[in-house]
Amino acid sequence: MKDMNETIVSMKGICKTFPGVKALDNVQLELRSGEVLALLGENGAGKSTLMKILSGVYTRDSGTMEIFGREYGDLTPKQAQEIGVAIIHQELNMCRHLSVAENMFLGRETCRGMVLANREMESEAQRVLDELKIDIDPRQVVGDLPVSKQQMVEIAKALSTKARILIMDEPTSALTSKEIDELFRIIRQLKESGYGIIYISHRLEELQHIVDRVSIMRDGQYITSMNFKDATMDEIIAHMVGREIKEKFPRVTCEKGKKIFEVKHLNAGRMVRDVSFDLYEGEIVGFAGLMGAGRTEATRAIFGVDPKDGGELILVGQPVTIHKPQDAIRAGIVLAPEDRKKDGLCTKLSIRHNIALPNLDLLCGPLGVVNRQKEDAMCQQAVEDLKIKTPGVDIDAGNLSGGNQQKVVVGKWLARNSRVVIFDEPTRGIDVAAKVEIYNLMNHLKQQGIAVMFVSSEMPEVMGIADRIIVMCDGRITGEVMARETTQNEILTLATKFESKIAAAAE
Amino acid sequence: MNATKRTPRFLSVRGMGAALTAFAGLIVIYIAFGLIDRTMFSGANIMNLLRSMSKYLLIGIGQSYVLITGNIDLSIGSVVGMSAMTSATLMVAGVNPVLAILITLLCCLVVGLINGFLVGQFKLPPFIATLGTMFVARGIAYMVNGNRNTNAISSGIGKEAADAFQNFFYYGSTAGVYNTFWIALILFLIFFFLLSKTRTGRHIYAIGSNVDAAKLSGVSVVTTVTKTYLVSAFCAGVVGLILCAQAGMGNMEAGNMYEMYGVAAGVIGGVSPLGGTGLLLGTLAGAAVWQTLENGLSIIHAPVGIQRIVIGIIVVFAVLLDVVFRKGLLSRKGSKS
Repeated sequence: MKDMNETIVSMKGICKTFPGVKALDNVQLELRSGEVLALLGENGAGKSTLMKILSGVYTRDSGTMEIFGREYGDLTPKQAQEIGVAIIHQELNMCRHLSVAENMFLGRETCRGMVLANREMESEAQRVLDELKIDIDPRQVVGDLPVSKQQMVEIAKALSTKARILIMDEPTSALTSKEIDELFRIIRQLKESGYGIIYISHRLEELQHIVDRVSIMRDGQYITSMNFKDATMDEIIAHMVGREIKEKFPRVTCEKGKKIFEVKHLNAGRMVRDVSFDLYEGEIVGFAGLMGAGRTEATRAIFGVDPKDGGELILVGQPVTIHKPQDAIRAGIVLAPEDRKKDGLCTKLSIRHNIALPNLDLLCGPLGVVNRQKEDAMCQQAVEDLKIKTPGVDIDAGNLSGGNQQKVVVGKWLARNSRVVIFDEPTRGIDVAAKVEIYNLMNHLKQQGIAVMFVSSEMPEVMGIADRIIVMCDGRITGEVMARETTQNEILTLATKFESKIAAAAE
Repeated sequence: MNATKRTPRFLSVRGMGAALTAFAGLIVIYIAFGLIDRTMFSGANIMNLLRSMSKYLLIGIGQSYVLITGNIDLSIGSVVGMSAMTSATLMVAGVNPVLAILITLLCCLVVGLINGFLVGQFKLPPFIATLGTMFVARGIAYMVNGNRNTNAISSGIGKEAADAFQNFFYYGSTAGVYNTFWIALILFLIFFFLLSKTRTGRHIYAIGSNVDAAKLSGVSVVTTVTKTYLVSAFCAGVVGLILCAQAGMGNMEAGNMYEMYGVAAGVIGGVSPLGGTGLLLGTLAGAAVWQTLENGLSIIHAPVGIQRIVIGIIVVFAVLLDVVFRKGLLSRKGSKS
């Protein structure tokens, strides 16, 4: 606690390759005691990967890592914890059935002989919580606590292991303004006691309240570090965005036709709040925003997967009621979901069965027997139209490459006369060539007069493919821009336009 | 400042609500049957009740250990049969009863160890792994004595030793209560202590609640899961000895369906089949509810079929409560903003 401003973490030349992707390329990071370092970058910049290496979840391919002046090779999570590195994951990792104290001491319980020393652990937990001025009873069951308090417990747990380096990944995303205040108070307190804190957040406006230094990453590379005081927001955003957009986005110009689909005041839970927009014939509408902006939630609410709290959907002038996906499919609104493998495909079924699945009503005779000829024809059509590369339609969908899987997902919808096709992150995890094919596919739909809703977190592709871009942040639409007239900075500014949760409290 | 609103430690134990509910249900059922037929309240009937429920209690303890980690052990009914057959065959062959008991329990523990390895180490779905060992253990029960039930154990170790064995496990009594119940009670207290007061017990709950969090906190999942299967196999072994003592011989079909009785006892008492919660106190109540129903329905001469139907409904109802309760918790959390 006396040794302030001493380097406690020094990572240099870190590389990490996942099959097919270079996640980290010669990255460096330095953390000093008594500081809060913001690690910034767009989605996929490699921040989480770097932090997982530091906390022992991943091992690096090359590079050196010094913690508290000692050089370390590959770490396990447990070793990292023993050295004093604690990570608080974005999704909480607690045993919901156990009490606060039990969670804090899980795996390192105090015992007297054979018997658990519950009272001792509880009073020790109480001491740590008191020190942090967190008002939680250590005997409370964690599952009964609100998310914010669970997060406080995670922090307390990390500190009770004598961690000196704390990594927080998007800690404020689930918190209300008052809870964020509380969290920041704790962070400031920890900082004063000499802890080193790495803080990952997309909410740039929050940084001013706690951050000392920022490090910026982009596309798996280290870009720069600077003192927060010396940097302007624009400068930071410019570093985060950085790259030029090359013309790898085939654009097709169509005449904008009549209005096909209208969403009015859609509300669904916390992540979709008063969302209204229109889709027209012959245009692709991009939905930009940061991860967790509520775009996926909006698509799920429209498609009828998640319940809606309110709002109106109007398809070609007619109001439609959608309570479940079947309603949407029947109306002609279809979704290619975000997680292909989880929601989009039955990976253990063949291409044939995947394509036929949502179309069985068209393929079956009166007795519910599948008409094999119609099925064959439908699958053949899809394979040809979309150029699915496969030796046959009876191959398991799970064996295809990512791009081809995506084509199967889309293919199953094209067999029906869909009016609105929603793509949620259709190019995630597929290579550049396959991406271009997906873009062409969207263009193809656009030319056919189908309204295309295109959700993507990769800004270049949204700007390159969409005609109009709607930006969301925190469950609300924060702006609408024409792709040809906008800049990445404008979009990023809109995408980080959080409701000023902390402004009032900071005064 | 928190101290003011603290509830007594006893009541704040998680799962106590469900366990107490099961006890309340037990009392209601018992009195209801008693009002129909006063024999229910007779001292002799109470003694019989306690003895008969002991088997369900023991099997329920073992199954509860496994259920709390979020797994299941389908093999224990067969292990009961294996234990009864092994011990009887050994004694018919003239092996000293104490030695026979030790060998038998050791064999049962081997099955538990295998289950633990399959589920813990090799990550097989517990339903499948223990389904396999269920068939194997039953097959062994058949083969031990060449596909026949055994002769009376007295034919091997003599009448005196056979009586001693049978009295110890079944027919004898101490302080006016059958020994079977004392054995069950002592084991209950030991396993109750292990589950609620020791580190291993804590880890069992943690694994059932969130196995990833447990692993990241340094809990050895393989070891802990194996321990739970050892407990369930051991309890099944003891039940097998009780059945052997009761019959005075080995029956190849002994313990048929007991694995499910164990699930029922646990679940009625509030042990969640999804893992993470449950108290052995609840299992005790569950076993008693089960036995009281069986006993009461037979006293009022209800058809056997009715008994099964009633028990089936109670089990489903108990789990339904659990599921509804959990869903309620989740949606409350989800709608919070």
